[in-house]
Amino acid sequence: MSLVLTLAGVQALTPAHYLSLSDVARLQTLLGQEFSSLESAYYSVVGLTKLGANVPDHNDVCQFLKSQLDPTSVDSLFFAAETSQAISGCEIPVSNETRDILLAAVSEDSTMTQIHRAVSALSSLGLPLTSQEVVGALTARINKEDNVMAITLALQTAARLSQQAELGGILEEIEDLTARLDDLGGIYLQFEEGLEATAMFVTAAYALSDHVDMEPPLKEDQVIQLVNSIFSKKSWDSLAEAFSVASAAAALSSNRFHVPVVVSAQGPATVSHSQPTLQLLVTDVMSQPLASAKVLVESAYAVASKSVILSKAPFTLNDGVFELNFMSNQPASGYYQFTVAVTGDSRLVANHVELKVKVSTEVAVTNMDLAVVDKDQSIGTKTTTRVDYPSKAKSSFTADSHLNFAMSFQLVDVNTGVELTPHQTFVRLHNQKTGQEVVFVAEPDSKNLYKFELDTAERKSEFDSISGTYSLYLIVGDATLENPILWNVADVVLKFVDEEAPAMVQPKTLYVPKPEIQHLFREPEKKPPTVVSNTFTALILSPFLLLLILWLKLGANISNFSFSPSTILFHVGHAAMLGLMYVYWTHLNMFQTLKYLALVGGVTFLAGNRMLAQKAVKRYESFYFQDLFSGFTLLCF
Amino acid sequence: MSNSVISVISRFLEEYTTTTPNKLKVVDAYLLYILLTGALQFLYCLLVGTFPFNSFLSGFISCVGSFILAVCLRIQINPQNKGEFLSVSPERAFADFLFAHTVLHLVVMNFIG
Repeated sequence: MSLVLTLAGVQALTPAHYLSLSDVARLQTLLGQEFSSLESAYYSVVGLTKLGANVPDHNDVCQFLKSQLDPTSVDSLFFAAETSQAISGCEIPVSNETRDILLAAVSEDSTMTQIHRAVSALSSLGLPLTSQEVVGALTARINKEDNVMAITLALQTAARLSQQAELGGILEEIEDLTARLDDLGGIYLQFEEGLEATAMFVTAAYALSDHVDMEPPLKEDQVIQLVNSIFSKKSWDSLAEAFSVASAAAALSSNRFHVPVVVSAQGPATVSHSQPTLQLLVTDVMSQPLASAKVLVESAYAVASKSVILSKAPFTLNDGVFELNFMSNQPASGYYQFTVAVTGDSRLVANHVELKVKVSTEVAVTNMDLAVVDKDQSIGTKTTTRVDYPSKAKSSFTADSHLNFAMSFQLVDVNTGVELTPHQTFVRLHNQKTGQEVVFVAEPDSKNLYKFELDTAERKSEFDSISGTYSLYLIVGDATLENPILWNVADVVLKFVDEEAPAMVQPKTLYVPKPEIQHLFREPEKKPPTVVSNTFTALILSPFLLLLILWLKLGANISNFSFSPSTILFHVGHAAMLGLMYVYWTHLNMFQTLKYLALVGGVTFLAGNRMLAQKAVKRYESFYFQDLFSGFTLLCF
Repeated sequence: MSNSVISVISRFLEEYTTTTPNKLKVVDAYLLYILLTGALQFLYCLLVGTFPFNSFLSGFISCVGSFILAVCLRIQINPQNKGEFLSVSPERAFADFLFAHTVLHLVVMNFIG
């Protein structure tokens, strides 16, 4: 079912989620499963009853209850008693011990669950109990078990007690729990404990409020947000969860204070001359129609023009569906915004709904005139050809550099005769040989007359200058049109002057592999002439000569050179290091070099240490050439 | 004017030749040699181009590094600076000089490509 419901964010909130008929059916299927224990029998039977469904075979269920009952267990008694209440003619036998066990469970030393189950069982079995005592036990337990589930159980228990008991304290818990609800985006309201907690709270709150006849402290928006969060989940994990949703649905559709209304359109919210009535379904959260409701259009205005077309118009109830003949107001095609009010019951919540309704119509093409016009003259001088939809012009038209092809037409509403300007009005030219197509937009003039003129000289780039026979199509479309049009109006022969080589080659080359990309190494720069580099090599070596000369002048000498083993070793080591540097340049990598350097360097270091220690006593004159050489070795480019 | 400049320079040269120890003069000659070598390389780079840029870099870096190390050596073995480098004997300074050279030229060789 498609419904065009707009949630007016600022204005009244409306339920976005509810149980559709198929949801209810699925829920019934889930609850109607074969049960294996008293607990599942309770969820199943009571859940189905809440949904208003039939429970099959009351006798079989009754037999099952009696066979499974454990008269010493509070839980067992609770499930059996509650289930037997839901079906007719099933009495659970009660002994004095059973009654004592149940009464003993009603104390502030039992858990909240035990108290709730004992009280419910006592009440269902028709056994007497002192309400005031239960209230005392509940109040004490609320202080000890301050969680959502426990307080919800307390509310449910209180709904089973006498109206004369002092229930005010427990009633206040509804407001406290409401304050603990989490708001999600202003659309959902739920307990972080989960769906079951939220659904059971709603059930309990309305049960107790109905019982004491006091309106629960929930605002309208809060009720709708709770509806959204309870019914947004469409797949239920467990029987208990399905039961809680069924209970909440029952509570929300039949209580004394708040009944959320779900307004949806029957089918698409569209009216037209063939389907003039707008049909609305007005239901509760379980998709059960609200027969007592009265539905009224407060106002309806056109979305485009904002002009009000309808106000205070009632819907008529017809076989469970609310109907309104909107076409009797003769609306123009387009979208309309409806504000619908549902009245007739003071309990209704979310009873002002915004609806978007589409009015659709049929379009017809009239006055389709085709002509070939001389560029220098006006359109009137040439004879035009009138074509009627959906036939095709008998002869083809030829346009070339001197003759333009022209076309004019009108679009009218079939039902009212009013001129229309749909969103999409295109002229499509399709080359019969190459399959190429070119689409133009047809624009209406101020009188809503569509004109389209094709100047082949101006438009040749769009056609790739391919001459040939083109099929001319008219395309008309709009969301509000029931009959979109695709009409082959005529054939047009286009002749372009400077026809280029067949452009059809181009699309083919699209899928040819591109040339392989080869890696380009950086091209070496041009080397300078050998003379230049040789000159500079000599130039750069020349300061070394200068150095030698200077040293000779200064009287540097190697007279101090001694031939002790350490001295020789040191000089040999140093020379070896220099040699290693050269080998590193030509052959080795850094790691190999470092390895050898460590070896040679170590020996040289020890020898040098020894030699310098000896020298330290004397003064030395001579400098060692080796390291000086290393600098100059590099200079040979 | 030019006279005074010449006199200053001649005075400076005279002072230098007489007072500077021979050992330092040897180092100074070495410094001059490196300076000239570096300058010539730079000149080549300006005139011809940087083409084997890594070679130019390594040669130039070698000159600059050697110059700095030699200056350090000169400072350390200068008798006038003895007070500042009490713990550094001339032999120790020379050993450091050699070691630093080894490391420097390892880098230079790495660059030369």
